[in-house]
Amino acid sequence: MEATKKYFTFSIYVAVVFIILIFGFRVEASDKENCLMCHKYRFIGRIDANGKKINYNVDEHMYSKSVHRNVSCRDCHTNIKKLPHDPVTEEVNCANQCHIKPPFAEENFSHKKIIDSYNQSVHGIKSEDAPELKKAKPDCKFCHLNPIYTRVDESRIAYEETLARCKNCHQKEGATQAYKHITHRLRHKTSRSPQEIVLLCSKCHQDAELMKTLNVKDAGLTAVETYKHSIHGKAVALGSQVAADCISCHASNALHDIYKKDHGSATVNKDNLKITCKQCHEKTNDRFVEIAVHSRIDRNEKPLLFFAGFGLKLALFATVFGLMSLLSLETHARKKNGMKWQIKRGSTWRGKSKR
Amino acid sequence: MTTVSEASAIKAGDTSIAEDDYFTYVEGVGNIPRDIYRHVESNPLGDLPRYSIHIIIQHFFVFTTFIVLAATGMALHFSDLFWAPYLISFFGGADTARLIHRIAAATMVFGGVYHLITIIGGPLLKIHKGEFDYRRTQIPRIQDVHDLVNDIKYFLGLRDYRPRMEKFMYKQKLHYLAILWGNTVLISAGSSLLFPEITARIYSEAVGFLPESLVKIFSETVANLWPLPAFFQDFARLMHVDEAIMALIVVAFWHLSNVHLVPGRFPLQWTFLTGRITREHQIEEHFLEYIRNLNEIPEEKEYMRKLLEEKGFANKVKVSVEDLPRPN
Repeated sequence: MEATKKYFTFSIYVAVVFIILIFGFRVEASDKENCLMCHKYRFIGRIDANGKKINYNVDEHMYSKSVHRNVSCRDCHTNIKKLPHDPVTEEVNCANQCHIKPPFAEENFSHKKIIDSYNQSVHGIKSEDAPELKKAKPDCKFCHLNPIYTRVDESRIAYEETLARCKNCHQKEGATQAYKHITHRLRHKTSRSPQEIVLLCSKCHQDAELMKTLNVKDAGLTAVETYKHSIHGKAVALGSQVAADCISCHASNALHDIYKKDHGSATVNKDNLKITCKQCHEKTNDRFVEIAVHSRIDRNEKPLLFFAGFGLKLALFATVFGLMSLLSLETHARKKNGMKWQIKRGSTWRGKSKR
Repeated sequence: MTTVSEASAIKAGDTSIAEDDYFTYVEGVGNIPRDIYRHVESNPLGDLPRYSIHIIIQHFFVFTTFIVLAATGMALHFSDLFWAPYLISFFGGADTARLIHRIAAATMVFGGVYHLITIIGGPLLKIHKGEFDYRRTQIPRIQDVHDLVNDIKYFLGLRDYRPRMEKFMYKQKLHYLAILWGNTVLISAGSSLLFPEITARIYSEAVGFLPESLVKIFSETVANLWPLPAFFQDFARLMHVDEAIMALIVVAFWHLSNVHLVPGRFPLQWTFLTGRITREHQIEEHFLEYIRNLNEIPEEKEYMRKLLEEKGFANKVKVSVEDLPRPN
């Protein structure tokens, strides 16, 4: 009897395990309208008139870990009114209000504020822009890739310990996600590393051909190159997390307010440089901000420095060549006079002189 | 081989003949032939004093910090080359490498200050005792140029013997002056890279102290050509890198070969550890210093006297060390 009871309990356990394995835990994504009914299929898509393959699959697991996991599809894709929907012709507008209320807020959430600031910046599309310039200017999605949460480097922030303290009062799940959302922006101005920022900006600004077609002036054409030759660029290239990247100097904490340097609101404008440099160089002063950051020693612009550099190179070659010839001449003559290479107790003049 | 005679010995004031002289007469020792270095016994650890303990410690300061400075500095400068990330990760990342570079630089500056104290204090003490002789120091002389020319002539086979040289020959004086110059440039340029805010202020404030007429000329010429702090910073970037590369190449290829790789020095010369030089080396390259050693060290005098007797060079020629050639 006892054995039968044990067997029965064991079978129940096994059954429960199998039921869990079969039905699984549903991944919690915000899909109230069941868009994933179709979009869950991995090869849903079409080939357009140019023969380009377009995939409409949405990976549920990826999306549920992204920044927008709580936003339902139609909050952004507003032009979809019926099911099955018509072909999508309009781009997503990030300035839309979505049906999410942030904690303690009166209004629904929207990126409108930052988009306004962005539209005024040099990257915003203006009515007077040439068509090729309009086309070349990056939209939101060019830089923002709806990234999956990445944890902050834990050597910098005591992640687990800090989170444990939050959990004293807050419920586990919400606290964890809020904390992740905040901490991956805690380090710097940007959640991207300086290396990623440089890569991102170089994507267009390093392309000299593209920049030329957009009427960019001299200093702008060589900006990436001169940055990489500066100590900021070199330190970042070698993995520094504290050296200045593009955004450190070219945008304020609003991050999207990048202007040309003759614009009054530009962080790199002559009048604002002191505030900008002060972020790292605490003892900045009027003369310090005159120092060239994107320094390029050019024959026409800085003739004195150009020829000084040329002279120094010449001196280097002359010195090295002169000293090495003296050394080889000396070695040849002393060897010929009967000296052996190895120093030994007694004498090193163990050979016969051939002079 | 020349025979021993009155005519072949050094005569006071007659430098042209003295250059080619085979024998040098030393009171109480005898006629020392120029190529006696072929016949002497040497201990690789060193027979004769050359460097004081201070110089040995300073050399340790310089060469240890130099290796660290070169490794971190070159990796930072050549950040786009394939080996740079490996070297940087060895030092613990770019930010740590920059910190290490600064610590090593401060240590080297400390070594330099220590050197300045000894290099000024030592001679002052000797002047006080009346023992100071500038020919035994690193101070450059016209004679060094003659030595260089004559040495090259010897290397080319146009002369029979190497010139008689002092404790520091032309090579060492050149190298020492290069280090003085290089250190000055690297320390001043490096500190303006480390404290750009302060240097930018100092150099513009310094202009304020100049008389007004000078400032006018200054601002019209140099400052117009390139604004002052910006020019200076660019110049410092240029000089720091160029001097560093020059120093590294000269030390890695020339200095290291000269002291440890050329014939008679391979695989290691012990002088930088023991502060002593081998007898054959002293006679070959620092002959005049060796003659001073003879007068200062009785054991050495005795050794040389016996050796000359053995080799049959004991004939007397009336010339003493005081009659050695001097610069005009």
